[in-house]
Amino acid sequence: MEKVRIGFYALTSCYGCQLQFAMMDEIVQLLDKANIECWFMVDRDSDEEREVDIAFIEGSVSTQEEIELIKKIREKAKIVIAVGSCAIHGGVQSWGKDKELEELWKTVYGDGRVKFEPKMAEPVENYIKVDYKLYGCPPEKKDFLYALGTFLIGSWPEDIDYPVCVECRLNGNPCILIEKGEPCLGPLTTAGCDARCPSFNIACIGCRGAVGYGVAWFDSLAREFKKKGLTKEEILERMRIFNAHNPKLEEMINKVFEEGE
Amino acid sequence: MRYVKLPKENIYDFLERLKDYGKLYAPVKISEKFYDFREVDDVKKIEFHYNRTIMPPKKFFFLPREKMFEFSISKAEYKETIENVEPFVVFGLHACDIFALKIMDTIYLDEFPDKYYKVRREKGIIIGISCMPDEYCFCNLRETDFADDGFDLFLHELPDGYLVRVGTPIGHRIVDKSIKLFEEVTSQDICDFREFEKKREESFKYHEDWGSLRYLLELEMEHPMWDEQSELCLACGNCNTTCPTCRCYEVQDIPNLDGDTGVRIRRWDSCQLRSHGLVAGNHNFRPTKRSRFMNRYLCKNSYNEKLGLSYCVGCGRCTYFCPAGISFVKNLRTIMGLEDKSCPPEISEEIPKRGFAYGGAKQ
Ligand code: SF4
Ligand code: SF4
Ligand code: SF4
Ligand code: SF4
Ligand code: SF4
Repeated sequence: MEKVRIGFYALTSCYGCQLQFAMMDEIVQLLDKANIECWFMVDRDSDEEREVDIAFIEGSVSTQEEIELIKKIREKAKIVIAVGSCAIHGGVQSWGKDKELEELWKTVYGDGRVKFEPKMAEPVENYIKVDYKLYGCPPEKKDFLYALGTFLIGSWPEDIDYPVCVECRLNGNPCILIEKGEPCLGPLTTAGCDARCPSFNIACIGCRGAVGYGVAWFDSLAREFKKKGLTKEEILERMRIFNAHNPKLEEMINKVFEEGE
Repeated sequence: MRYVKLPKENIYDFLERLKDYGKLYAPVKISEKFYDFREVDDVKKIEFHYNRTIMPPKKFFFLPREKMFEFSISKAEYKETIENVEPFVVFGLHACDIFALKIMDTIYLDEFPDKYYKVRREKGIIIGISCMPDEYCFCNLRETDFADDGFDLFLHELPDGYLVRVGTPIGHRIVDKSIKLFEEVTSQDICDFREFEKKREESFKYHEDWGSLRYLLELEMEHPMWDEQSELCLACGNCNTTCPTCRCYEVQDIPNLDGDTGVRIRRWDSCQLRSHGLVAGNHNFRPTKRSRFMNRYLCKNSYNEKLGLSYCVGCGRCTYFCPAGISFVKNLRTIMGLEDKSCPPEISEEIPKRGFAYGGAKQ
């Protein structure tokens, strides 16, 4: 069997996604199945110019250079996988999406100067077609293994299209949204983390991003939060942490607050 | 049927002895308000007056997640991974939950036995306990409020102990082996038992006939309730994952990195989720939240022919554990016209175009 050519590319991020995968013991099993063409974290001889079968992209698009880079990756890769909340949803750095770039810049860098042209953080999908997504901040090892394993047998991995609540219930946790009225984002957040936070009695903040396919019901959940006394701003602020680019978010929440009582 | 009495002072001894038959699971408090069946070490932690568990007892037989088989593509073969199940005891099931297991049996044992379910069902000892309904219970309307079978032992609370019904040979064995813990049932016990049952019957919130529900649900597909209530729904699936009779599962193949072997797993599914109605070609026969919302109502109220019951046993979980506060019972009563008048109060000349008229519903 021909080896699968893999590339791992980083845009603006904390590098946590790569680290998560680079540290996996299972990565050794890949060595006779795959050639790593480009992955600076694990291989010095990496080259962004090489063609690959599977390209993993981590990080949000935040500079002009990054736009060029991902366009190049798209051309040279058969399958493009967006990895982690930054690449998929623009990451937590998109939280301040409604502020001016200059203001954000000043807050972080003061008067410091850099060589690149900064832009507002954006998801990779805003620029190129993405074929598959590995959700999370950071993503789960098991999702990475599942996707790779499935590609290696010549099949296509399933996307996760259901919310964290499902896993929370499968684990038999108490529901903190019902019981304590905590603003858990589990009902609209993509599953796969095995309901990590609710399992520790902590409300989900949605780090895996809202479920796709139009089944993230920001409106219904906002209505619930509103009943529990949260203001529109509080709800928006919380749901925006990882979903700032979601086109439905504001529209749905506005709708709920226009409904009145 | 055999009846014996378990005096109150012997209950913990009795529970302790149950451990001789395998691991003991019973309702315990898992948080401020919620209960679940968990393995118990200290029998004093068992809650005898719990309302309902967040996980239904089906979890012992139809696991929330489980591995089904290992496969090899190159060898074109698979090996089922059926666990070697040790006997175990589930103590404290309410009548509705016992009926729910009987419903699960009609699906998972009767026609095409599910091996994974079967091995566990054969090893599970079921001990029921009586309960007082809360505002969410409606098993009386589902005729699942008193279990005639489906248990090894059933304990009915008395002021000074329990009247125990013995349901199976295993039940007999458990009693016989600890016969010193039991007494004969007295006429006072029978009076107390009657008294309890009477009080219980009176405690149900609704006493009404739901005979028309099944066909009204089918006729009232356009009722405004569907839009209003599905709009509130979060599509979280909790109503299915807490339901003792939901039996849908989702399977997934997880290949290893060798490009050859892997495992198939399954997990509880919910028809409130998008992929439940997703079929080949990316078609979805329940494409909207409303259609998914309706599906559960129709499924749960359909008729299990084997048992002559509806699939819903009235445990109240889907309402109690709904984070959007949607009331299943209220919605069903709306459809039946029991919540508020849904048809014109007087007979009008006009003939309704479709199904039932509910001109008065939108006041
Ligand atoms: S705790 Fe959160 S994730 Fe868990 S069921 Fe409740 S809302 Fe869903
Ligand atoms: S529970 Fe929510 S916040 Fe926690 S890991 Fe999962 S998606 Fe992220
Ligand atoms: S539990 Fe409630 S909110 Fe969740 S899917 Fe069911 S009806 Fe909708
Ligand atoms: S439909 Fe609701 S009330 Fe009926 S058995 Fe299921 S969880 Fe219980
Ligand atoms: S179709 Fe829905 S309501 Fe019916 S058993 Fe399946 S999950 Fe439960």
